[in-house]
Amino acid sequence: MARMKFLCDADRCIECNACVTACKNEHEVPWGINRRRVVTLNDGKPGERSVSMACMHCTDAPCAAVCPVNCFYTTADAVVLHSKDICIGCGYCFYACPFGAPQYPKVGNFGSRGKMDKCTYCAGGPESDFSTIEYEKYGSNRLAEGKLPLCAEMCSTKALLAGDGEMIAQIYKQRVIKRGYGSGAWGWKTAYRETVAI
Amino acid sequence: MRRTLTTFRTLVAATILTAAVGASSTSFAQQTRDGMNPTGQNPTAESVNEEFLFKQDPKITGRISIPDGKAAHLIQPAGRDYRDFRERWLPWLSALAVLGAVALLGLFYYFRGRILMERGPDTGRKILRFNGFERFAHWMTSSCFIILALSGLNYIFGKRLLMPLIGADAFGVVAQYAKFSHIYLAWPFMIGVALMLVLWLKDNIPNKIDIDWIKAFGGFVGDKHPSAGRFNAGQKMVFWMVIGFGSAMSVTGLMMIFPFALTDITGMQLMQVIHALIGIAFIAGILAHIYIGTLGMEGAYDAMGSGKVDLGWAKVHHDLWVEEEQAKTASGPQLGRHQVPAE
Amino acid sequence: MKAFIIALVVAVAIGTLAAMLLNQQQRFAYQAFTTSGTRVSDPAGHSNLVGPHWNGVTPDPEKPSKS
Repeated sequence: MARMKFLCDADRCIECNACVTACKNEHEVPWGINRRRVVTLNDGKPGERSVSMACMHCTDAPCAAVCPVNCFYTTADAVVLHSKDICIGCGYCFYACPFGAPQYPKVGNFGSRGKMDKCTYCAGGPESDFSTIEYEKYGSNRLAEGKLPLCAEMCSTKALLAGDGEMIAQIYKQRVIKRGYGSGAWGWKTAYRETVAI
Repeated sequence: MRRTLTTFRTLVAATILTAAVGASSTSFAQQTRDGMNPTGQNPTAESVNEEFLFKQDPKITGRISIPDGKAAHLIQPAGRDYRDFRERWLPWLSALAVLGAVALLGLFYYFRGRILMERGPDTGRKILRFNGFERFAHWMTSSCFIILALSGLNYIFGKRLLMPLIGADAFGVVAQYAKFSHIYLAWPFMIGVALMLVLWLKDNIPNKIDIDWIKAFGGFVGDKHPSAGRFNAGQKMVFWMVIGFGSAMSVTGLMMIFPFALTDITGMQLMQVIHALIGIAFIAGILAHIYIGTLGMEGAYDAMGSGKVDLGWAKVHHDLWVEEEQAKTASGPQLGRHQVPAE
Repeated sequence: MKAFIIALVVAVAIGTLAAMLLNQQQRFAYQAFTTSGTRVSDPAGHSNLVGPHWNGVTPDPEKPSKS
């Protein structure tokens, strides 16, 4: 099985936010919840870079470890998913997540903030594939259709890569060799405890 | 004349241009290969990179175009440390604290046994120790505390102990209600702590009698009973523990009930760590309090049960307080003026 | 015993009250993280924009008010 990862090539990302829009539209994510977001570093200064970030589907995911109800599970493709039926919305996963992925439908007091929502790598949830209930809770299941996450698929500059970790690392490496520079695979060290050697 | 000048100008401009093009074409020829950056510069020379940003700050923060400020943090590896605390240290620390307290109390019971009431001339007569309102404040706080402690421990041990027994779905429901009770019963608990502070503060100011009481080990060792006022030094310690830990739990708890209202992600992690650590210490301390108030000492429970304690017991354990109460009325043990008889 | 039972009742009452008050001030993410930055359609219809006062119900597409 593949080990699915995301890689954002910051030297290509133009902060168009198409990945964000694609994600919101594909999964009907409500207003105010952003499963994917684009963060601009050094905004307006020389050397400004933008990075598109969502759940990185970490190796040995911290969110899964701290969850007091063990609602997380990892699929055969190493995608980190969770069950909204078991989630109690305690927010520990947000504290543990290095990438700020988990979000909640309500933002006031923590007592009734609802079930956590995060990027599913377009892989749905524990419900049976393509069921209505799966779509309502987690969004569409493109992985089961044999497609990759929409954010990466429709990235206009192909900055955002999704797919098997080895394969996207290879693509990124070739790019770096060809163009002569690269600012690295953002977040890989934190998420996967490894980085793309250039 | 004018034409000459124009021709001259054109010549100069042409020369400069040719020179410029010549100069640049040399470097162009060196650098340009298919796909290479035509300027010959490395565009990432000035660009930010992860390693550099982590040297400046433990978390990488940028600008986002969505109104959710939390999303501006790109990477915060401290989440891994938080996870380490919560999953590696906290279960062991809390097991040690809670089971350790139970074990110590068990040992104490085994060696010292129940502290029995000494029979005396006043045995059987009653004196009011806590009025109805005081007992109300105590029981409101304590019943909330028990629920808060159990639902708090559920955050740590639920998935380890309860979940394998009843299954994930049932445990999800239990944990959901445990969470509701934790959030909402925190409010009567906080009110209770504040009430107890107001009610008993004046009797809990440490003084010289307490030093003698501690020097005599509170009478736990030996047969002598050091004198004490309404509360002895041990009870004062419980009082200040409840006030101190209670307010620390309230502050950190409120920060977590309203997440990110006053602090950022680092602050939230810290709040959770403090809340958990003080919580388990609080539970261990209260276990000792429950022990001595019920099983550990004969006659002590009546103080919070009916509110009236045995006069003989009171004279032994709180001699100064009994004198004070009796001085209020000339004719022996009676109810205080403002105290309402219970039941 | 009476004090104990009253304490339990009051604790539950305060807890329920706290729950009601806290849930009243609870805001959905679409309310909290809304800006007035975008407006795609006619403002009178206000169905396209989830504004800060949106109650979760999409209003009937009534005739746009002339202004």
